[in-house]
Amino acid sequence: MASLPAVPEGGAAQPPPLPADAPFRRWLRGGYFIRWLGFGGSLIPTLMLALILLVLIVKAWPAIQINGWGFFTKSVWNTGAQYGSSVSSHGIRYLSGQHYGALPQIVGTLQTSLIALIIAVPVSIGAALVIVERLPRWLASILGGFLELLAGIPSVVIGLWGVLTFGPFIARYIAPAIVKIIPFSFFQGDVGHGEGLLVSGLVLAVMVIPIIASTSRDLIRTVPVLPREGAVALGMSDAQTARKVTLPWVGAGLIGAIVLGLARALGETIAVAMVCGVALGQVTTNLYGAMSTIAANIVQNLDSVITDQLGVRTYAELALLLLIITLATNVVARLMIRRVSGIALPVGRGL
Amino acid sequence: MSIQADPAGSVPQRAVQAVQAQAGSAGVAPVISAVGLTLGFGKATILSDISLDVQRGMVTALLGPTGSGKTTLLRTLNRMNDKVTGYRHSGDVLMDGHSIWHPGVDAMSLRRKVGMLFQRPNPFPMSIMDNVVAGVRAHRMASRAQLKSVAEKRLTEVGLWDAVATRLKDSPFRLSGGQQQLLCLARALAIEPDVLLLDEPTSSLDPVATESIEALIRTLVPRLTVVIVTHNLAQARRVSDRTVFLNKGRLVEHGETKQIFENPAEEETAHYVTGRFG
Repeated sequence: MASLPAVPEGGAAQPPPLPADAPFRRWLRGGYFIRWLGFGGSLIPTLMLALILLVLIVKAWPAIQINGWGFFTKSVWNTGAQYGSSVSSHGIRYLSGQHYGALPQIVGTLQTSLIALIIAVPVSIGAALVIVERLPRWLASILGGFLELLAGIPSVVIGLWGVLTFGPFIARYIAPAIVKIIPFSFFQGDVGHGEGLLVSGLVLAVMVIPIIASTSRDLIRTVPVLPREGAVALGMSDAQTARKVTLPWVGAGLIGAIVLGLARALGETIAVAMVCGVALGQVTTNLYGAMSTIAANIVQNLDSVITDQLGVRTYAELALLLLIITLATNVVARLMIRRVSGIALPVGRGL
Repeated sequence: MSIQADPAGSVPQRAVQAVQAQAGSAGVAPVISAVGLTLGFGKATILSDISLDVQRGMVTALLGPTGSGKTTLLRTLNRMNDKVTGYRHSGDVLMDGHSIWHPGVDAMSLRRKVGMLFQRPNPFPMSIMDNVVAGVRAHRMASRAQLKSVAEKRLTEVGLWDAVATRLKDSPFRLSGGQQQLLCLARALAIEPDVLLLDEPTSSLDPVATESIEALIRTLVPRLTVVIVTHNLAQARRVSDRTVFLNKGRLVEHGETKQIFENPAEEETAHYVTGRFG
């Protein structure tokens, strides 16, 4: 008799048979692949951080032992006698006469970042408020574009501008005015020629402003109109509305933006190296003195100690210190964000 | 302005003044008058040639279908529209006989006199206590030591005190929607306005919360003058003394609420209040 039809009764109701690689496909469709990929991906940043920390600690360990606590309290940077005899201790060989105390660089790092934030925070947040609330849309988008361009300028270019134009300008016009206005001894003294603490801090401010301003602009845009109108309807001025409602609404985010800027300022290297004046042996006694930062010191002098075991390891210790300062900043910021968001955010701290 | 100078005792006194004012002139003394008010945004005209008087110490409802311009009219009374792009107006709005756009009138002090409550509750991102006194602080109406008692007085006034007394430092965003709206009402009352503008204040609330807000509105008059925007016929009927019916940017009819609902002069009004459109 005739063979059975290929299509069973009821037409093509049966699903087509699974291809040979069905188990793999089923595994793929089950989401395991994506899940493991995601899990692995999420581990990468943690692993990277842990590895960097580990490598730095291992590298720096002999230096940590040899330099001791003096590394944080002394103001001296002596890379040793080039033609003297070498010494051996803690498992490494190095030139005699080396002596390292990084206090001036630690202080310099904090001072320049502080100056940068003092200038950048009010300027950036003010600019962000104006861009969002006052300017017509076309002008706001042009200005916003410029902010992002400014954020994209390579730091070496800003450093060059700092050396050639900005530094001399500050030394000639701004610094003398500060000397005249503020009587405290820290603000008095020889204003120099445009290299030093003040110019470093200001150059950093220029680099940090676009970061904080564009982030805060994006944050302020998210503030709903209803609470702002509520403030206006209560007869509050624009300044009061911003201070009491708009900015607190995104308070946690603003702290995040500021920390983003601070991290940039703490770690910024080449521009500061170009305008800091390079003084490793002492903490500057006034706002205009030559100084250095951890990052600037590393980039300027690592090559000169590259063949010396203690020297290299001391620079690893510096790097470790910078990393810890940055991490600590982040942790403090996170604690502040938690404190702020408890009351500020409509969602609260979580249910 | 001192908070303490306004104990409960002065309320009946003001009420008496209001009644006297009404009895004095043959008609009544309006708090706010719109005179030939036409306004719009850009090319669109939202309201044309509106003239109306808002009577002192009464609840006036602005009633009308969606898009009739009632919210725009309300927001004009405390100049909230001034900064909207393309806003334009002709004609005038008088408050106590003076134009609200007179160069000598400052929008911030106008808004201190003309408070506002919005469609949805809009607490500020600060503690419950700070929310209530936010306006008081902004206008320096009380000393730091008095703030606590101001907050208690206003929260009691809106019936929220018992619910929040133990958590004044908490975030207002954990309160229910109705409680948040009451908090906003307390905040608006704390700066002692003469007029309170309510923009569909119960549209986001459940029936129980709506009822408590409506009951509160009745307790505010005649101490305050209330203007309430609503597209809820029953609400207009329940809370208002006078009703203004707007449709498509025109003022169709204005009169006592009872008359508007039971014996409207215009056919358009009759159609709306009987639910035939809108």
